[in-house]
Amino acid sequence: MTAVQPTRGQSIRSAVAVRLSPVVARWNAFAQTRGGSVVARMFSTNAAWILLLLAFLMLLFNYLAPGKFLTEFNVRTMATNVSVLLVIAVGETFVMATGGIDLSVGYVLLFSGVTSAQVMNWGGRDSTNYGWDIVLLGFIVALGSGFAWGVLNGLIVAKAKVPALIATLGTLGMSWGLAEILSNGQDLRYLPSIMGDMGASRIIDKIPLVVIVAAIVAVIGSIILSLTRFGRYTLAIGSNQEAARRAGINVDRHLIKVYAMSGTLAGFAAFMNLAIFTTTTISGHANDNLQAIAAVVIGGTSLVGGVATIAGTTIGICIPMVLFSGFTILGLQSFWRDVAVGAVLILAVYTDQLRRRRRERH
Amino acid sequence: MLMRIRTVTMLGLALITVAACSGSTATTASNYKLTLIQGVAGDPFYVTMACGAQAEATKEGVTLNITGGNKWDATVQKPVIDSVTAAKPDGVMVAPDDSKALLAPLKAMSDAGIKVTFVDTQLDDTSFAVSSIATDNSGGGTLAAQTLATLIGDKGSVLVVNVDPGISTTDARVQGFNDEMKKHPNITVLDVQYTHDDPTAATTITTSILAAHPDLAGVFATNVQNAEGVATGLKQANNTVVKTIAFDAGPKQIEDLNAGIVQGLIAQDPYGIGVAGVQQTVLALKGQATTKTIQTSLAALTKDNVNNADMQKYLYKATCS
Repeated sequence: MTAVQPTRGQSIRSAVAVRLSPVVARWNAFAQTRGGSVVARMFSTNAAWILLLLAFLMLLFNYLAPGKFLTEFNVRTMATNVSVLLVIAVGETFVMATGGIDLSVGYVLLFSGVTSAQVMNWGGRDSTNYGWDIVLLGFIVALGSGFAWGVLNGLIVAKAKVPALIATLGTLGMSWGLAEILSNGQDLRYLPSIMGDMGASRIIDKIPLVVIVAAIVAVIGSIILSLTRFGRYTLAIGSNQEAARRAGINVDRHLIKVYAMSGTLAGFAAFMNLAIFTTTTISGHANDNLQAIAAVVIGGTSLVGGVATIAGTTIGICIPMVLFSGFTILGLQSFWRDVAVGAVLILAVYTDQLRRRRRERH
Repeated sequence: MLMRIRTVTMLGLALITVAACSGSTATTASNYKLTLIQGVAGDPFYVTMACGAQAEATKEGVTLNITGGNKWDATVQKPVIDSVTAAKPDGVMVAPDDSKALLAPLKAMSDAGIKVTFVDTQLDDTSFAVSSIATDNSGGGTLAAQTLATLIGDKGSVLVVNVDPGISTTDARVQGFNDEMKKHPNITVLDVQYTHDDPTAATTITTSILAAHPDLAGVFATNVQNAEGVATGLKQANNTVVKTIAFDAGPKQIEDLNAGIVQGLIAQDPYGIGVAGVQQTVLALKGQATTKTIQTSLAALTKDNVNNADMQKYLYKATCS
């Protein structure tokens, strides 16, 4: 009997393993140390890898367009331009952590923006000079509209057992259509001017208020997801819904809460959108949902639920914007931006899958 | 039937002339960097405008970058505008997607010392612009109404298929159209339908309106995407009675015109707008006087005149060469 010859692939792999073994040993030793274990744990998550990718992209664009990309102006506008999406994506992270999906966010945003703006100029009056009381009313209406759509999504998913993809596709169409009916397809263009001032204002003349607000939403979302019972329930349901149910979690009730949260955040984002654009931007938001979902997935949230971080989602929101801005500054043809973002999405999920598989093998 | 050709000629080519810096600096052959931000990338209208801008830029020895969002959407165009500002070109020609929502980013661009010229569309506030160059859109609407009225024998229902409210150009076209139609008592103008620049929506609207209004005699489509959608809708319904007049003259529209799917086209002069945009911006950079408002010409194209030599400059291109 002859000995089984190793295939070419196997022999290459073993040769590489031999060559790399000192590196691996050193890494393992490093990982045993206290500081090392933190770093090692960090790099077992997707967030750390995509943070590296983000840093690499920013340095690359800054190298290719020196003095143009990493300027105070560009960083500030990029941050402003992701702030609305980040708020939506925080809600989307919770929904996807349960193994669900919320396609309706973009048009729930649009609907909430329309109702909010309509209440603010009730009766078609010019509301440009209205004060904070009216703005506060508009804010409450935006939150309330988003909340209502969110609860509806939750009820359809949890109680009527309609798959989330279909349920939220349905409410996407409904919220879009109703927004158009309410506004008669017309952008509402007369909002209290103090709202626009708020959208343009900066803290200590540097950081836009909307960016700070979005960051606060992300931090609170992160705390809720990783440190509270609400967050644990959310991940538990995504991990194994049946197990969560048997462990005594009221799954239906919790799902309704999670979808309601996503809707409410869309309403919140609608108010921010009104402040930034000073109009309802009816022709926009068609791709907000897919952009949010892409960001959540790039950030390492599993499509089947159970694994999610808000930090990952935040980086996942930034990468497409960095590509968008970098490509525009370099003067590359605009369609390449979409190609690049699509490629990053696939790459992010692929590396995530690789690491998961490797972990399972060990 | 022989169509009467009306050409709205240069309406007040120079409405207001603004004298810029009096003591202008010496103008060397400086290599200015300009950027054209299209309303939407890949649209034949904006491609032709870019061709005109590029030709003029080459002639004047300045560098031109061309960019734009891939959708007619202020929320998509805002990051494009911001990134262009970050890239610090000397001058920008921009077709804003919304007359209000993009005020802040364009004001920031102007405040950063970049010369801003509006091409095709503009903002409610044009005070900081070097120049605003556009088609006389209201006149185009009037021309469309006159042409359509003749085509349908001055009676029946007509439908206006528009993009979105709040776009200065298309709103002005509808305004001009409606004002002119008031002079035609036997024509009923139906409620304006909006398509979000989506040809599929224009198709659906056309077939639905045909079902609801059997006396439909004519359709006015306010831009390229809508015209393509309306043409598909009429094809689906096998309808050859309804006369369609469309704004714009892209390659597909010319094909449709020759095939008899569309009976009239109101053509703008995007090439001329692109040329004028670069000219005005460069003038401002050199510290010379610019023309605050420029309105470019329009033409009504029909099957009978589309091959005439003087009409060729009104045909939009899919590529520059």
